[in-house]
Amino acid sequence: MMDRSKLRARDVVSTSVVGLRSRRGRTALTALGIAIGIASMVAVVGISSSSKAALIAQLDSLGTNLLRVEASSTGISIEPLPIEAEPMIRRVENVDAAAAVISTEFEVRRNDRDTNVVGINAMAASPELFETLRVDTTAGRPLDDGLRALPVVVLGDVAAIRLGITDLEGGPVIDVGGQDFVVVGILDELPLNPDISRKVLIGDQAAIELLGVEPNPTAIYVRVDPDLINETRPLLAPTAHPGRPAKVDVSRPSDLLEARAEVDQNLQNLLLALGGVALLVGGVGIANVMVISVLERRGEIGLRRALGATRGHIRSQFVLEAALLSGLGGVLGILLGSGITIGYARRQGWVVDLPPLALASGLGAALVIGMLAGFYPAAKAARLDPALAVSGGSN
Amino acid sequence: MSSAVLELRDVSKSYAGSPPIEVLKEIDLKISEGELVAIVGPSGSGKSTLLNMMGALDRPTSGEVLIDGTVVNGLRDPSLSGVRGRRLGFVFQQFHLLPGLSATENVATGLLYHGTRGRARKAAAREALERVGLGHRLDQKPGKLSGGERQRVAIARALLGDPAIVLADEPTGNLDSQTTAEIVELFLELNEQGSTIVMITHDQDLTRSMPRVVEILDGEILDGAAAEPDTDEDDAL
Repeated sequence: MMDRSKLRARDVVSTSVVGLRSRRGRTALTALGIAIGIASMVAVVGISSSSKAALIAQLDSLGTNLLRVEASSTGISIEPLPIEAEPMIRRVENVDAAAAVISTEFEVRRNDRDTNVVGINAMAASPELFETLRVDTTAGRPLDDGLRALPVVVLGDVAAIRLGITDLEGGPVIDVGGQDFVVVGILDELPLNPDISRKVLIGDQAAIELLGVEPNPTAIYVRVDPDLINETRPLLAPTAHPGRPAKVDVSRPSDLLEARAEVDQNLQNLLLALGGVALLVGGVGIANVMVISVLERRGEIGLRRALGATRGHIRSQFVLEAALLSGLGGVLGILLGSGITIGYARRQGWVVDLPPLALASGLGAALVIGMLAGFYPAAKAARLDPALAVSGGSN
Repeated sequence: MSSAVLELRDVSKSYAGSPPIEVLKEIDLKISEGELVAIVGPSGSGKSTLLNMMGALDRPTSGEVLIDGTVVNGLRDPSLSGVRGRRLGFVFQQFHLLPGLSATENVATGLLYHGTRGRARKAAAREALERVGLGHRLDQKPGKLSGGERQRVAIARALLGDPAIVLADEPTGNLDSQTTAEIVELFLELNEQGSTIVMITHDQDLTRSMPRVVEILDGEILDGAAAEPDTDEDDAL
């Protein structure tokens, strides 16, 4: 028989919006706390995912199908691989290319200087190495069959810098093991094989004949069919050293690069946690402001009760006000965090990768935090005695 | 023509304390449809508590409150709120206008908790503002209105939804004498148009033009409890 109070859904929303709109300065400042929390979380996720995307793009271009077969270094003396290892591996199914290298102890120096460059050693390589590693030269050319037995050398990019040879003008010559080698090329960067960046590469026949290097390879680089890498990988050790496969290590250089992305995960979690703390502080700020707001707005609450608002209507008004306040902060934070990510990624030359899920959960987190922050003040508002509230609270 | 729209039967109200403070003592009061009643008493006489009882803003310690024929004592919050929203209109001393809303929007909140559509609320609000003589101030925010105009806005809001009775608590308490006279005049006009109005005041002067005056002192009604309009004109106390 009694007509109950009713509040239309859209009026629930507009009532809360009016509450926020009437106090713009406070609304903006309160939302800022949430915005900072969300912005930092979005930026952390955005930057790390952009960085990962850049790394994956790099891995894609370098290929994850390069394997490195080398003599196991667990023993006291490293037993090099058999000489036949390279041709045997090349015959394995799904192997696209293979190239042996022989590490040496020979240090190098420019022949117009007196001292050796520390940390830069000569390495003997079969001419297939450059194709197998898919590396180009920034100057000159790589070794080929015609240069295999000649006293010429190709410099890794780091080795070239350390030797102070950045181009081939004037025909630079370096000293390896007391003999002159003409520099014919300088290699591009080798992100997957930083060790080769620090070598000067001599043709394998030249190394054996001119420097007396043992012909046994110390490592073999193998390029295999990308789709069959898991099937092919176990075949390499027994093929390289049929007698003692346990003495052979097979590794994948791209794993190292991938591991770098994983190491960042810890840092990312830490930063996310910090963003979460900022978000919580923002939530506490909202709760605080809402409690004050309820005290200030006793008259309004009393009026609304007199106009027919139930306790539930008052409660939902304040919970929604807190959620909208926080949601506003969330939207601001997403814009800010996306801006930071885009700016940073552009500067690093990365493709921007902002996972939509991260953005959506940022907004969701803001709304949930706001609602939680609103519950207590809203309950306080709903419990106000209407008679006291309309009289302004002073009895 | 004289059916009771509001009736208090034996209503007492005391607040906890030692000893408990009895603010209202077994009040019997009947307001009939179409009446304009002034409830007058000095501060501390219990008149505000009486209004809270009549407005279902507070519950009596004992006794019954009937609003538009319904006993409201035992009602739970949703129904009680419904009674306040639909059967009663309130006018307060402090106006209680929302500063962010225009005059029309403020008046329209009178129908907010009726579930009325926004457009219909606004239309009714404009009509009510015309009735109280503010047809030219529809879009002003309260900050731009004078005290008298603010109280007219509040009165227009109380009229919305055709309440059975309008309760005004010291409606002229914040107004100068000129404006006070205008507001009293407005209440008389609205009463002539058919509104039932109860006005609480501490100002004896205001009651001169009122058809019925109920005097309250120390929680008891001294005079005017019976619902016989136009007979109690001896306001010389």
